Amino acid sequence: MITSLASRHMSKNMGMSSESPISDAAEGTAKAVLDWSSDKIHAFVEKLRNRKLAFICDEATIATVREEYNSGEAKFYETYIEDKDILFQVRMGLALRKLERDKKRLRDLRERIYKKYKIKGLHIAEFVQTGILHRYIGLLIGGMRSLEEFKKDIIEVLVNIEKHVLFVQEASKTADMVQKASNIIDANSPDIFVVSGIGDAAKIADESGKKLEIMQRDYKVERISGEDEVIFFFKRFVKF
Amino acid sequence: MELISLKGTSLKTKLAILKELGYGSDGDYVLRSSGEKVVDKYIDIPVRVDHMVILPGSEVILDDNELSISSYVEEYGNVL
Repeated sequence: MITSLASRHMSKNMGMSSESPISDAAEGTAKAVLDWSSDKIHAFVEKLRNRKLAFICDEATIATVREEYNSGEAKFYETYIEDKDILFQVRMGLALRKLERDKKRLRDLRERIYKKYKIKGLHIAEFVQTGILHRYIGLLIGGMRSLEEFKKDIIEVLVNIEKHVLFVQEASKTADMVQKASNIIDANSPDIFVVSGIGDAAKIADESGKKLEIMQRDYKVERISGEDEVIFFFKRFVKF
Repeated sequence: MELISLKGTSLKTKLAILKELGYGSDGDYVLRSSGEKVVDKYIDIPVRVDHMVILPGSEVILDDNELSISSYVEEYGNVL
């Protein structure tokens, strides 16, 4: 249970029912706050040292972290992604998604991911944030031959994300993106290739994906668009 | 595990908690007894008193952000 010292104080002053276990707990700690003697602080610190208590700051941060680890999607990735470092970057993507409505926190976390994991780590996180990994896994499942191969394919796309995904930036030019995507496809012949653009980059991604679709005859194309994003999935098909 | 939010708590209370743990502050940042700023070991930035979390496990003092706390979970287990 997360208890906020400030909110407890407010609850007490607002006269919440003592029958509520939440307000009871709240009032209990509000009193502790109001007369936080050195003895009280000592007791809290002892609990901290005994691993029974943690002092947190913003409850929303904890809620986001919990979702990174406890959501169904997180559990799914935990099952199929065995590389701990990559899995952590995937979790960061779940956190980014959770923060999408809070632009400042979203930007702050993006910066921290970039600082620690460079552009590749940020791209892995964005790959998850935008739901591309969802869809990508759906396509993999469609052609799955074995569980081991499935796991290997997921890791392959994440570890070598720049060979499988083109992240269009808002400052990108359509012609450059089409050229870059063509170069990546020609060099790596990926079974699945993704062109993604979010926010101001969505329009450029859309134009790039449509031009690329005309050029890449060996791929079936699926276009997904959302509120401020456009994603193209190019899936290679072979004629026999 | 019981979680106590320090958000909205007075500076005086936070400083008292830090003192009990053997740390100090210059009013902005958390300081070690030697006077050095405490650095969030996961993202390598000094920890501000108004943005600190104190987690079990050798009294880990971190900045309040998703990356640091997730890194803590990775190291110490999903205890939160």
